[in-house]
Amino acid sequence: MTALKVSNVSKSFPGVKALDAVSMTLTGGSVHALLGENGAGKSTLIKIMTGIHAADQGEITMEGRPVRFANPRQAAAGGLGVVHQERNLVTRFSVAENIMLDRLGANSLSRVDYKALAAEASRWLKQLDLDIDPMTPVSRLSVAQMQLVEIGKALSLQSRVLLLDEPTASLTPSEAQVLFRILRKLRDDGVAIGFVSHKLEEVFDICDTVTVLRDGKNACDSQPLKTLNRDDVVKMMIGRAERISRRAPRPQPAAPPFFELRDYSSAAGHENVSLSVRPGEILGLYGLVGAGRSELAKAVLGLARQTGGEIRVGGKPVKIGSVAEALDLGVGYVSEDRKGEGLILLHSVLDNAGITVWKSLANALGFLRDGTVAQKVGPVLRKLEVKTPSLDQTIGNLSGGNQQKVSVAKWIAAGVKLLIIDEPSVGIDIKTKAYLHDLIHELAEAGTAVLLITSDLTEMVDVADRVAVMDDYRIEGLVENDRNYERVSTAIMALIHGREAA
Amino acid sequence: MTDVTADAMPARRQGSGLLRLLLSNEFGLAVLIAVAFGTFALTLPGFTSPFSLFTIGRQIGIDTMIGLAMMAVIVTGGLDLSVGAIGVCAAMVFGWLAQAMGVPLPIAVPMAILFGASLGFINGYAVVRSGVHSFIITLASMSIFFGIMIFLTKAQAFNQLPPEVTQFGKTRLFGMVSVLLVITLVVCVALSIFYRFTTLGRQMLAAGANPRAAELSGIRTGRVITACHMLTGALAALAGLMLTARTGAAVPSMAGHLGQDWLLPAFLAPVLGGTLLSGGRVSVIGTLLGAAFVTIMTSGLLLMRVGEFWILACLGLILLAAVLTDRLRQGVLRKRGLI
Repeated sequence: MTALKVSNVSKSFPGVKALDAVSMTLTGGSVHALLGENGAGKSTLIKIMTGIHAADQGEITMEGRPVRFANPRQAAAGGLGVVHQERNLVTRFSVAENIMLDRLGANSLSRVDYKALAAEASRWLKQLDLDIDPMTPVSRLSVAQMQLVEIGKALSLQSRVLLLDEPTASLTPSEAQVLFRILRKLRDDGVAIGFVSHKLEEVFDICDTVTVLRDGKNACDSQPLKTLNRDDVVKMMIGRAERISRRAPRPQPAAPPFFELRDYSSAAGHENVSLSVRPGEILGLYGLVGAGRSELAKAVLGLARQTGGEIRVGGKPVKIGSVAEALDLGVGYVSEDRKGEGLILLHSVLDNAGITVWKSLANALGFLRDGTVAQKVGPVLRKLEVKTPSLDQTIGNLSGGNQQKVSVAKWIAAGVKLLIIDEPSVGIDIKTKAYLHDLIHELAEAGTAVLLITSDLTEMVDVADRVAVMDDYRIEGLVENDRNYERVSTAIMALIHGREAA
Repeated sequence: MTDVTADAMPARRQGSGLLRLLLSNEFGLAVLIAVAFGTFALTLPGFTSPFSLFTIGRQIGIDTMIGLAMMAVIVTGGLDLSVGAIGVCAAMVFGWLAQAMGVPLPIAVPMAILFGASLGFINGYAVVRSGVHSFIITLASMSIFFGIMIFLTKAQAFNQLPPEVTQFGKTRLFGMVSVLLVITLVVCVALSIFYRFTTLGRQMLAAGANPRAAELSGIRTGRVITACHMLTGALAALAGLMLTARTGAAVPSMAGHLGQDWLLPAFLAPVLGGTLLSGGRVSVIGTLLGAAFVTIMTSGLLLMRVGEFWILACLGLILLAAVLTDRLRQGVLRKRGLI
């Protein structure tokens, strides 16, 4: 029985076609995997189904009737529950209040019956094997418990269709097994479940059918998973069979490390992190969501207090109290959150690219002209082939790929010797992605040390020379990258899951 | 733009330059000013007399300076309710130095401005250190500054200032241009250059538009925001001194209780002029035009014998309209993915 059908849905954002005629069919009583690499369009599709975004084209039907939800509230009322990647809990409220948030009383002025609320909530908590008092404030729960409360919230709506966007990203394997047991029970009750995950083992463990997206298009539409094996799925996700890198492993430069962490601990939660990057080397830092990678980059840049260990730059121990100090030492950081942290969208391309060099270009009185900045920044922007009508163009008007180029360009213009690049290819098209990979290699060839943070394994295997694996704010180990995707990814996963299995 | 970029990236702005000009806030204001001025000039006898023009120009000078003081902190997406208190405090310090201590004017004036900047520093430091919105901080400091000033001066005015002060306030160039307006125009030019051609000015705009991105690009956001508050303090002090020159005395009540008489012109001028309340974009010329529009409207209505309270209500409505325009503008920016 078809519970939810998505037919030929398309969606464009300025500069990016996120979805191109995508279709998917969820059936009651089965778990459906929605797979794809980062930026393939999975989250966009979920947001369209639940009414956060409106589709440009195409149709969605639930149990045969066309639906077009204007917001998630309507979707919930229509029987479509969703657990998003980001947490949506009111942390000061209790677990019960969160689960029942939109049904606290009959109307806005009626008294809230906390006893009934707690009783109803504990029913769902019991289903989830979650042994907590429903009146506990959410802020006191662990991340995994919060995730389960979110799922409880979606379940309590009696949804006939339940979408889960990477529900296991912050769960341990044993917690994930609890979740799967619940999902199976729901499935047997006839609920249609959509399941997004990066972990293929889980997908083969629990899902019955699969839809794969690649670059916003269907690589397959609702196929039974039984007919496929792991390689078939990977092939559809990345568009090739065996992952053969275009790049040969690079000889390791012999120079002493430019940047080194020795038993570094931070107030953000990092413990005894040790790693080193030589000039000309690309060190990858891999980990699952919430492993503490971006947090490490920001802590090192002075945004979190250092509580132990040592940072060495150019062989000398240093203290870094702010990004400005890091920049003086030759360390730059390309944020994963381009729009929130990387760029000043309201300002021009020139101002965004020049922000790192203003101080060094200004004369003794602090004066500088646009022309001076353009002279410094222009050649870098041209080399990176940034497509903009002019340097005066407001950067918010450029495409994601061009924005990303500018956020890298500003550090190149500043001549940094270590560039930390966080998730360089989120939300940009394949061509720019390949270009950025080439650029990172070129930078390394020219002697820049690069620390690459990415949760895209294929990108990691393609670009990094060595991969440091982080889990739970610690370094679990180091993997030499010989560009053999199977070997490297297995080694990385073993490091991540090794500690938990032990 | 220089030829460096000429081949790959033409240095022209997107779209027609003329159209952008016609749609700009500054142009709209200039039209409004021309209409208002023309109407009053034709209907009100004496509106264009040299003395009338002199007083209007003087008022534009002072109101613009007050507006610029507020603009300098709106850049950060914040505000400063204590501009009036700072302006009066600085004026009283000036009065004390010039009258009671006999400090020569060329020293007393910069000292008063520095004093204003240091009060601004206190605001900025508190805002940056506490992370509390500037609304609360400056609401508190407004009362503190003003209260201490009243305590120290016992609410007495300094009205035996050196005669040069009053003389300066009365100075006319070409028979109708107030020298106070000239000072304001010079400051406008200086500020325009400051925001466009200095590192600190650019850093203020960057830190105002997106503090997180600015910090992660190597700007010491805390220091820059403190500097914005100091600039506000210095400009407020300058406005206070100009008011002193006009009145011929430093009077504790010259900006009303707690200095709140300044708040309406302080917000009206920059917001009318197109300075974005969420920070990151300023218009110095817009602030000047905004103040000019408000002053011309007020003078004209006063000459028409419209009651002062009606004028205040009218100014309040104009501010509301300007703020709604600001929301609209931000909505457009957000839709186009610029915020």
